Amino acid sequence: MTDKTILSVDNLALSYGYNPILKGVSMQLRRGEVVSLLGPSGSGKTTLLRAVAGLEQPHAGSVTIAGRTIYDAAAGIDIPAEKRDLGLVFQSYALWPHKTVFDNVAYPLKLRKVGQGEIAERVQAALKNLGLGHLAERYPHQLSGGQQQRVSIARALVYNPPVILLDEPLSNLDAKMREEARAWLRNLIVEMQLSALVVTHDQSEAMAMSDRILLLNGGVIEQQGSPQEMYSQPQTYFVADFMGSNNILKGRITEICDGEACVEVAGQLRLWGRRRSDAAIGQEVKAVLRVEQLHLADGPGEHRLAMDLATSMFLGDRYEYVFHAGDTLLRAWGKRPEAAGQRWLEFPPEAVWVF
Amino acid sequence: MLQTLPRRAVVALLALSVFFPLGLVLWQSVLSGPFFMPSAQLSLESFVFIFEDPDFWMATRNTLIVAVGMSVIAIPLGAVLAFIMVRTDLPGRRWLETPILIPIFVSPVVLGFGYVVSLGPVGFFSVWFEELFGYVPWNIYSLAAIVVIAGLTHVPHVYLYSSSALRNLGSDVEEAARLSGASPFRVARDVSIPMVSPALLYVGVLVFFLGFEIFGLPLILGDPEGHLVLTTYLYKLTNKLGTPSYHLMAAVATCIIAVTFPLVLLQRALLKSAQRFVAMKGKSARQRPLALGPWKWLALAVIALWLLLTIVVPVSGVALRSVVSSWGTGINLLEVLTLDHFRAVFEEDVMIRSILNSILIGTFGGALAVGGYLLVGLATHRKPDGLSRLVDYIVLTPRAVPGLMAGLAVFWVFLFVPFLAPLRSTLFSVWFAYAVVWLAYGMRLIQSALMQVGPELEEAGRLVGASRARVSLDITVPLIRNGLLGAWLLVFMIFEREYSTGVYLLSPGTEVIGAQIVSLWASGAVDVVAALSLINMLLVGSGLALALRFGVKLHD
Ligand SMILES: Nc1ncnc2c1ncn2[C@@H]1O[C@H](COP(=O)(O)OP(=O)(O)O)[C@@H](O)[C@H]1O
Ligand SMILES: [Mg+2]
Repeated sequence: MTDKTILSVDNLALSYGYNPILKGVSMQLRRGEVVSLLGPSGSGKTTLLRAVAGLEQPHAGSVTIAGRTIYDAAAGIDIPAEKRDLGLVFQSYALWPHKTVFDNVAYPLKLRKVGQGEIAERVQAALKNLGLGHLAERYPHQLSGGQQQRVSIARALVYNPPVILLDEPLSNLDAKMREEARAWLRNLIVEMQLSALVVTHDQSEAMAMSDRILLLNGGVIEQQGSPQEMYSQPQTYFVADFMGSNNILKGRITEICDGEACVEVAGQLRLWGRRRSDAAIGQEVKAVLRVEQLHLADGPGEHRLAMDLATSMFLGDRYEYVFHAGDTLLRAWGKRPEAAGQRWLEFPPEAVWVF
Repeated sequence: MLQTLPRRAVVALLALSVFFPLGLVLWQSVLSGPFFMPSAQLSLESFVFIFEDPDFWMATRNTLIVAVGMSVIAIPLGAVLAFIMVRTDLPGRRWLETPILIPIFVSPVVLGFGYVVSLGPVGFFSVWFEELFGYVPWNIYSLAAIVVIAGLTHVPHVYLYSSSALRNLGSDVEEAARLSGASPFRVARDVSIPMVSPALLYVGVLVFFLGFEIFGLPLILGDPEGHLVLTTYLYKLTNKLGTPSYHLMAAVATCIIAVTFPLVLLQRALLKSAQRFVAMKGKSARQRPLALGPWKWLALAVIALWLLLTIVVPVSGVALRSVVSSWGTGINLLEVLTLDHFRAVFEEDVMIRSILNSILIGTFGGALAVGGYLLVGLATHRKPDGLSRLVDYIVLTPRAVPGLMAGLAVFWVFLFVPFLAPLRSTLFSVWFAYAVVWLAYGMRLIQSALMQVGPELEEAGRLVGASRARVSLDITVPLIRNGLLGAWLLVFMIFEREYSTGVYLLSPGTEVIGAQIVSLWASGAVDVVAALSLINMLLVGSGLALALRFGVKLHD
């Protein structure tokens, strides 16, 4: 733990009844950093966030914020949620419907016994900062989804918590607004130099928004690293599969040479790829190849295979080609529409990961 | 630590309010005399006495007949009524919902009185019937009549629970039955009603143990021919021996509780399993009403007949009786119209006091009770721990104790706890008994309001720095304002309706209309009873009108 660390979770474990949800999770958040908790639905992301916030009851491990231990099972420390001084933006925004926008944002300051004048000043500043200056007197139900989200962020930031937690902050916005909001939110966090822990199930959202990603799977951290590392150096099949759009071929290793393995798929196709696990000759494996790494080739050659193109789909900025490979489908991207028929495809061995 | 202290205090006070009176009853039942007498010793002689009394066994037998009989009548009728109202296109469904629930809010003693003046040997309807057909085919004082009336007036209870279960059912299962050739009533019998059987089982247990607790109807209708049930047997014990036979009354009460308490626990277990059933099913599909076609006339006729028998006949009887000086064969009612009975009521201080007290206990007492229920609700809100489970059971306990006995137990508490004694002849003692008796009802209202509050709204409060108590004060309570107003109106109606709980607490200063009617009925002052009954119905009715005006749902 360095002195830049602002949030540190150590070996946190939590169960619902006899059902373990978090099985010993450790992570660190540094000052001014955005970390995403990524994972499939049910992997325990929300539970981890809520345990940090003090809304769920872990049974082992510890949590430290800015050098202050707020939870430690061994030492019997468990600071209640309201004393942890954290900001949390709820997935549903959780604005209080009986309070105006102003009163929603002012409430944390009122609880901290800030004077009336200063409250008005700070709330107005916070609202203005988020482009909500003119909405102070409205009630939450009179706002659009995007505005509600901003109010809930303003409420979580107004008392300058050392760490802000966001649970799927973009999931309640419609698809088009989501990309804009993503950029806006990243910009806001960077500009205000916040330290943020963001839960999301969307890998592109996680990559776009964060400095580091923690990939959760079944209550344990599968891998963590920068978005680039997570994308281009997955350590397990789960990570490779979860990040990005992939072609997945199931087969058997027939040959191993240095760091490369030859995989025979469905008894006919043979392709070379990088070994990413210690699977031996004869073992069943999966070969993973990012869609953008599979290219059309102009003719036969090394690492090239002939396949049947079934159809081309127009995606707006590109075309997607769908090939039959035995009983699975392969996808590749290109700039032009292609007629159906046999084509050559290139499988660059450095881009094929064998797990 | 600090925040758990008031929570524990609330629960401790609640436990004391429920278990102390109940414990007193149980303790009294194993003493040889009233517990305040130095000569009273531990003994089972009170049980020996009642077990040797043939009247006790007759009352037990009658109680069983009533409980079984009214279940047999109320459950199928209520279930079919719920099916018709919830799942079919019966015309006027929206307007029928409120009248169907009215019997819940009419005091049974008023209802019983209404039946006597309408269908009794010289009742209005009996006389008209006799003039038309030459004879009267019914005997309102028979045990069978008590069973039928008790059954018909408990239809709304069954209706409430089965209709909410039916509302959660997708209509695709019914449409499938319809397409395979089933008529609407076959659909109800073969598909819909079996699918809500957990709810029906639950309400079946409810109606059965309510059968053990009914008092007003058998008191008024069973008296002339001497049909005792356990509650009326208990009530009559006072006169039986002359001396205060507290230990005997306690023994009877203990016998009743020995039956009802396990039933309440059974009911709780059934509710748990019914909820699992619903939760497993998930959100139901869209609902499309079943077309009744020509069957709608039969359905309307059944509902109209039931409303006629349970509301129109007794209520019109009471209203008419309160404004005529005499009645019977050959009397033209228009010639004997009078307001004398009301004048008599308003000339007597006791009557005026009982009306004012009733209003007070409904308005202020109701608000105070809702406040108390709210405290208990907040103490256990979203805290699924041992203390909350304990509260669950405490809340259920008074359900097993008929109001008459609860009132008696509270009377004893106020009589013999020295620092409470001065409060005995104040309205506080009546209010306390009412609040305890209706604890389970009130808590259900509060809890269903509390459950409407999204948990994240409260969590957001915690996160920004508010303690549990602050969150309750600033977020939870303001958000359930409407629910609290609704609860207050419903508790008002229930408190106006209540009669048996006040019977043993009746003393100068604590008169309320319900208990006053019971006491006046015994003295044969029928004119005044009629006027008071009408006033009582008007009070309940104004509560009902307000509730409808504010859009309060009469059920959850
Ligand atoms: N209140 C609860 N009781 C029991 N299990 C729960 C509860 N809340 C969540 N879970 C379970 O915990 C697991 C993790 O849930 P969650 O943290 O919400 O996942 P995520 O946010 O990653 O989708 C899920 O399997 C879920 O079913
Ligand atoms: Mg989640």
